[in-house]
Amino acid sequence: MNLLFPGALALCALASLLASIPPARVRSALAGTALAGAGAAALAAGAAAMAGRTWSAWLPDLLPLAGVRLELDALGGLFTAVTGGVITAAAIYSIGYARHAPRTAQILVPLFAAALLLVPAAASVSTFLLLWELMAIASLLLVLADHRARPAVRSAGVWYAVLTHLGLVAILGGLVAFAAAAGGESFAELRRADAGGALAIGVFLATFAGFASKAGIVPLHVWLPRAHPEAPSHVSALMSAAMVNMGIYGIVRVGLDLLGGGPRWWWLVVLAAGALSALHGILQAAVASDLKRLLGYSTTENMGLVLIGVGAAGFFEASGERALAALALAAALLHVINHAAFKTLLFLAAGSVLHGTGTRDLDALGGLRERMPLTTIVFALGALCASALPPGNAFVSEWLMLQSLIRSLPDGGVSAAVVMPLAVAAVALTAGLSAATFVKALGTGFLARPRSAEAERAHEAPPSMLAGMALAGAACVALALGPTLVLPGVAEVTGQVLPGRGPAADGAYLRAAASSLSPVLIAAALAVTVAALLAVLRALALRRARRAARLWDCGAGPMTARMEYTATSFAEPLQRVFDDVLAPESDVEVTHVKESAYLVNRVRFQAAVPDRIEHRLYAPAIALADRVGRASRELANGSVHRYVGYGFAAFAVTLIVLAVTS
Amino acid sequence: MNLWKKIRKTGRVAEPAPPRPKDKPPKPELAGSVQIRHVDAGSCNGCELEIASVFGPVHDAERYGARLVASPRHADALLVTGPVTRNMETALRRTYEAVPEPKVVIALGDCARNCGVFAGAYGVAGAVGDVVPVDVEVPGCPPRPEDITKALRGLTGR
Repeated sequence: MNLLFPGALALCALASLLASIPPARVRSALAGTALAGAGAAALAAGAAAMAGRTWSAWLPDLLPLAGVRLELDALGGLFTAVTGGVITAAAIYSIGYARHAPRTAQILVPLFAAALLLVPAAASVSTFLLLWELMAIASLLLVLADHRARPAVRSAGVWYAVLTHLGLVAILGGLVAFAAAAGGESFAELRRADAGGALAIGVFLATFAGFASKAGIVPLHVWLPRAHPEAPSHVSALMSAAMVNMGIYGIVRVGLDLLGGGPRWWWLVVLAAGALSALHGILQAAVASDLKRLLGYSTTENMGLVLIGVGAAGFFEASGERALAALALAAALLHVINHAAFKTLLFLAAGSVLHGTGTRDLDALGGLRERMPLTTIVFALGALCASALPPGNAFVSEWLMLQSLIRSLPDGGVSAAVVMPLAVAAVALTAGLSAATFVKALGTGFLARPRSAEAERAHEAPPSMLAGMALAGAACVALALGPTLVLPGVAEVTGQVLPGRGPAADGAYLRAAASSLSPVLIAAALAVTVAALLAVLRALALRRARRAARLWDCGAGPMTARMEYTATSFAEPLQRVFDDVLAPESDVEVTHVKESAYLVNRVRFQAAVPDRIEHRLYAPAIALADRVGRASRELANGSVHRYVGYGFAAFAVTLIVLAVTS
Repeated sequence: MNLWKKIRKTGRVAEPAPPRPKDKPPKPELAGSVQIRHVDAGSCNGCELEIASVFGPVHDAERYGARLVASPRHADALLVTGPVTRNMETALRRTYEAVPEPKVVIALGDCARNCGVFAGAYGVAGAVGDVVPVDVEVPGCPPRPEDITKALRGLTGR
């Protein structure tokens, strides 16, 4: 009897209770502790499921008509374990961070966590949709937690509500049609049913669109860089490191597991969407100057990378290359785990910057290294991990992904020969740009001198927040140095999702692919090289007499913070290179003095890099909906006679139609 | 293509190199290659025009090992023009301190040597020699490019 998973859910419920009843002083401490326990239990339950000890439950009376069917298998277990880890770190962090948060928000966090844990365990269509909606509603309410303080929160909430519900409609339509054709709604029946032809295509495309909007995939990503920054930071971490994964889970579950793969073009669509998201996300992140918005776009980028792996896995599976498919899927799942670790760390660190300074504008930060040394260290660790450079953990999964893409080249056919090099180029370009992005975030946000009074007054985060960040940092280091620890579990998942080969064969193949590089050796070599360089430099420096000299400041007065590179100026060369893609907008307004047009009174300069997809795709759609709404207002002018007339006309038309057709 | 044509048509415009200087350079460590930072301490820009001509294609001081650099931290020599104004006095002193040893200071033009026509003006702190130690002087208002080249060759020994 496996009680870990129910135990985690019970602890979530307890945390919710503890956030509502005890006095406000101890509320966040009690709820945070209980929720951290829930996260740890869920992590253990997920790991157990990945190791083969699955858990299932059938509760026919909980939900009328359909009942609730839960089953935690290896695939669901991986996502539950990742979510559990994120919850643990975020819950410990929230003890200090959410001390003064409103009670509703504190009650909702455990509920959101429970929904996140349950979604990958759902084993029937109705259960899945119910939990999916619970997750969406809980996160929407959490995004709106600060709506009284900032009006931007409301607009973010509206965007999120609309897009998440459009996504739900797509998933609902797809899964319900699938269940109707299969003659049963449990996942086991769906898996057995042989959905073929147009239905399978419709189900796949509808669910893909819905899940992609949850994963923040271009062009359905617009809610993500708005909603994630506006939520409280521990909720941002939950959303950005755990909730977006559910989109990936849905695509893998429905596309590879329930539909059992499909023709190659499905997965080329997935791969193309992933590549587009990765590039668009990292380009927008590179020019963003809001720290949390930057991290939100980086989430879009990383989910795009994961989708490249998933798309490649489906493509290889359809081409009959099971070994490569397992490698690509394992790389994608490993990247999900790695992304969850470093994105939790980065969002929590961004939250402690917000807590310590009150701003998240990189152009107004700086100089945090002296004022918040521990936060700076963990953010630097997260930035290293996120920039796909060794010895970070994202490097390992992206390396595996590149290997799977490159190995397909010799005998993959024409479409592989065209698509895979492009995918390799997209992954490589993304990795390079993400390094620039995180150098910018760390360099302008934390180093140099403070650029504003807020940054000057920054203070270090309380111990509980530091403990949460340290936990996420430890996970990053462990994943960076020992990715082989999680590979057996990932191999279990690929063995389950891609039938035909056992997990043992997958495990052996993955170990062979992974052993082509050794993260520990790379890290050791880097450490030795750096130490040797330092020793040589020091020896050279000691041979000469030292003299103290003034910092060269062009001979003039002290250097001010205004002379520093800002985030905007650091990104300017990149922005110029990608000028045609990003289409930045700038506006110069010159006001002359009244007496003479030759004398300038004031110059106002404004520059912004709007999201072009949002600009071109959503603005016209919203304008059209607005116009239709205005036009239809004429139809309902408040006259009762007119409404009675409408009713009569509708009745008459129905009668005529019935008379003609029957 | 046009560029190649132009290069071929123009040919060589540099003056033939005069014979090597016979004297030993004042700082033998710098012989062969001298990196120069130019400081305008309050000049009327007449001297700057001549410096531009010295480093242009006709006189081409770089072939004798003299080169202009963008920071005193990279430099071996300071090339100072103009009388030292009050605004530039501290900056000149700091620039001098920023140049690593061994270093040379060249006072270029009459203003730099003895304030020239600006001597006694209220905004002038003094000649270059009053602010930092001067090693080489080049007279003239402005000095002829040949004289400047000769002074620089005296430093490089080439």
